[in-house]
Amino acid sequence: MKWIKADLEKYLQEKKYIDTLLVPLLPISFSNDPELTNLAYKTNLLTTLSNELERELAGRLFQTPPYFYLEGTERSKEIERLNEWIMDACKQPFKHTFIVTHDMSWKKNEQALTGTLLWIPSLTSVDPQADEYKTFIRSQVEQLVEFIRSYW
Amino acid sequence: MNEKKQQVSRRQFLNYTLTGVGGFMAAGVLVPMLRFAVDPVLQPSSKGDFVNVGLAVEDITSEPQRIEWQVVQEDAWNKSEVTKVAWVFRNDDGEIIAHSPICKHLGCFVTWEGSEDYPNEYFCPCHDGRYYKDGTNVPNTPPMAPLDEYEQRIENGMLYLGDPKPRGEA
Ligand code: FES
Repeated sequence: MKWIKADLEKYLQEKKYIDTLLVPLLPISFSNDPELTNLAYKTNLLTTLSNELERELAGRLFQTPPYFYLEGTERSKEIERLNEWIMDACKQPFKHTFIVTHDMSWKKNEQALTGTLLWIPSLTSVDPQADEYKTFIRSQVEQLVEFIRSYW
Repeated sequence: MNEKKQQVSRRQFLNYTLTGVGGFMAAGVLVPMLRFAVDPVLQPSSKGDFVNVGLAVEDITSEPQRIEWQVVQEDAWNKSEVTKVAWVFRNDDGEIIAHSPICKHLGCFVTWEGSEDYPNEYFCPCHDGRYYKDGTNVPNTPPMAPLDEYEQRIENGMLYLGDPKPRGEA
């Protein structure tokens, strides 16, 4: 399920079946020229990955719009706001929350998060049209599906 | 100038067609590509198109195999490439069946033999929905209908799939 009207209409009918929340966690920043393309590339990759994951598990997993944080700001502020976000979503009967990120540094703050952090390796320069990219997405999605299933 | 240009292109055209099989094959490849490029402009929905999914008919066995292919999907504002998935096999009557993986309960992807507990069935990981090999939903599991089947066509020994349809309508 996604944050779109048609899915929400279905969600409201069937919410007892949809107990898992997926939050894509993404950095943004315009301040450093050489980093811009890199950040955009990663945004794309994580978006594709979580969309694919949502597609496979659409009947039980709700994918929120991405949570964007400012790259390089103090984490504690972001953690507080992100937790608030998740707590609000959990006014609905969600039982599991997964936060997906490419950014390893969140690992340090894992304990402070109201959800299970899943770090996904990133690619750096593979063209999204290339087979390598597609194979990568496929294998990551397969592993993530397995992992999430182990919580169900 | 104009005439010269035409002559060249006519000769090229003859070359293509007279080269025989190669020419035909090129035409076979080009025509769908052209349609692909032109279609969205003419009719916004690409529904009803058959796509070569890259599976040779001779490679289809009685064991369902997962295949993937890409299509461009378009609504009023967005154009995106989506990956389509099917489970393809030959049934006992020798017919080719291409099941859609989308669970008829709430839409998760089913997997052939996706659970060790239920061999020889499709399994949905979300709420333990199950389907027999012919796509029929197993009673007393959440799905209330059989898996959809893709419309299909065979050309030059290759499998082409169209839209998924409820069983009996494909
Ligand atoms: S979505 Fe398949 S059993 Fe619920």
